[in-house]
Amino acid sequence: MGGFDSNSDPGVRKGYDRVVVPTPGGGTQSLTRKQFEGLPLRERVSYLIEGTAQFYLDGRPISAHEAMRT
Amino acid sequence: MSVAMKALERTQAATEAIVQRAQARFGAHRQEILRSTDRIFAWLLIGQWIFAIFIALTFSPYGWQGKVKVVHMHVWIALFLGAVIISLPVALAWRRPGELLTRHVIAAAQMLTSALLIHLSGGRIETHFHVFGSLAFLAFYRDWPVLITATVVVATEHLIRGILWPESVYGIPNPEWWRFLEHAFWVVFCISILIPSCRRGMKDMQVMAERGAELEALSENQWRKSSVMDRAATDAGAKG
Repeated sequence: MGGFDSNSDPGVRKGYDRVVVPTPGGGTQSLTRKQFEGLPLRERVSYLIEGTAQFYLDGRPISAHEAMRT
Repeated sequence: MSVAMKALERTQAATEAIVQRAQARFGAHRQEILRSTDRIFAWLLIGQWIFAIFIALTFSPYGWQGKVKVVHMHVWIALFLGAVIISLPVALAWRRPGELLTRHVIAAAQMLTSALLIHLSGGRIETHFHVFGSLAFLAFYRDWPVLITATVVVATEHLIRGILWPESVYGIPNPEWWRFLEHAFWVVFCISILIPSCRRGMKDMQVMAERGAELEALSENQWRKSSVMDRAATDAGAKG
């Protein structure tokens, strides 16, 4: 989705501050909110559909629903 | 085909559909803004044309040549030049709203309307405020190149008219040759704030569309989970 993805100000929304997503090699990768929101929309959507992204707020794991709440 | 492959294909198809819907939502929202702004400008241009005629009638009502009462040239300028300036953008706003050409023609016409009003008011500096108001209105499009078109038109118009008929622009017969640069500087100053604001507005629209996509993805995930649970419950019921 060229030119469609964007970063939002991480200071404005407080749903989550970190995400752990799977990597192609079978491992995991920890991303800040800004890094996650900088991923192509396709990638973010597929993580959410598969339920493979684990969201965190202040080090506490939270559900994707809670994370997406503004 | 394996179950894993099927699941991957379903995820890819769902992802594609969700992303396409997000793009469509963004495109529709943008078009709505562009079209409604085109309509605003169509009415604004007509209103300004009427106002220009009023200014011409008020500032230079009637000249007398002996016993013959004649309409001052400015009234004709306001009437005919004004009509020429606004006719194309108004027609485009009605017939082709939301198109790239329409908003750029409107931007140019809006600046030429400023020029007309400045001329009709005898180059009054206060009438130059119309340029800055117009730039702010043009920012409603959230499409920053429109502001560049407006800037180029107004700077060029000031340069040419400043050489040919300086009193018409500045109200004085012998302004400094660089006076148009001073005016252009303030226009650039104004758009240097408006351009980032337009870009931010566009980005906010993208974020809104993406948020919608993320929520759809969550909903899809929830539906899949509930489907799996339903199937498991059905299987358990069949075995029981």
